[in-house]
Amino acid sequence: MPENKPTCKDVMSHICDNLGEEINSQKCIDIKAHLESCDNCQHYFNSVETTIEFYKKYNVKLSDDAHVRLINFLGLGE
Amino acid sequence: MDELKLIELAQSGDRKALTELVKLYEQTVYNFSFKICRNKDRAENTMQETFLSMVKNLNQFSGQSKLSTWLYRVVSNHCLMMARTQNKHEFASFEDEDASIEEKEIADRKVSPDKVTENNELKIMLDAAIQKLPAEYRIVFLLRDVEELSTEETAKIVELSVPAVKSRLHRARAFLRNELNGKLGHA
Repeated sequence: MPENKPTCKDVMSHICDNLGEEINSQKCIDIKAHLESCDNCQHYFNSVETTIEFYKKYNVKLSDDAHVRLINFLGLGE
Repeated sequence: MDELKLIELAQSGDRKALTELVKLYEQTVYNFSFKICRNKDRAENTMQETFLSMVKNLNQFSGQSKLSTWLYRVVSNHCLMMARTQNKHEFASFEDEDASIEEKEIADRKVSPDKVTENNELKIMLDAAIQKLPAEYRIVFLLRDVEELSTEETAKIVELSVPAVKSRLHRARAFLRNELNGKLGHA
């Protein structure tokens, strides 16, 4: 997702939030140092973000028939 | 008319306001139900049961949380109940092993998420991957990552602690990434 590619700060904030750590904590500083030099982790986190994007963009539309069935099911028809 | 006013009117028996509330949320509820069930008939059934519950219980709604949060909770509970009563073939077990980065499988994806609406083969892969997750993990992933609710909101809806939500989210993400990477990585 080139146009929505997260920045390093976005990624760090996300990871550290999930670890329950402040972004300036030693643990997060160490993680940042590792991430900056690790292609493997960068690929991993990019692919997690892409996985989420796949599921975000996979949507279904309620059909008009299903809407009518719902309104009738609830007894809210005219 | 704003949502709170509609709710007040619906609580006092105004059928038009109730219908407006249903219209306001039917697409969201149906889409979320589908994302959990991965089946249009089940999603429609879940949507109907969710709104029936809303109609029956709207007087208990205090307005302290958003109506959407309340509806997400009803959908989640309905799906969890279905998952517990359906046979194990449909809701496969999930090895609760430590979710890890599988270095040898990491590869750049060549399929863009933008293609998902027009690619049935891709939809089948996405459905198959997420259906391998137990409903409890699937719901956390969908609420937090797909619907973009906060960790705290997600925790309230699924009645788990914040650390438990984070743990499930991490496992669900890693599982789905690994499942899809094997199928899409070299596409």
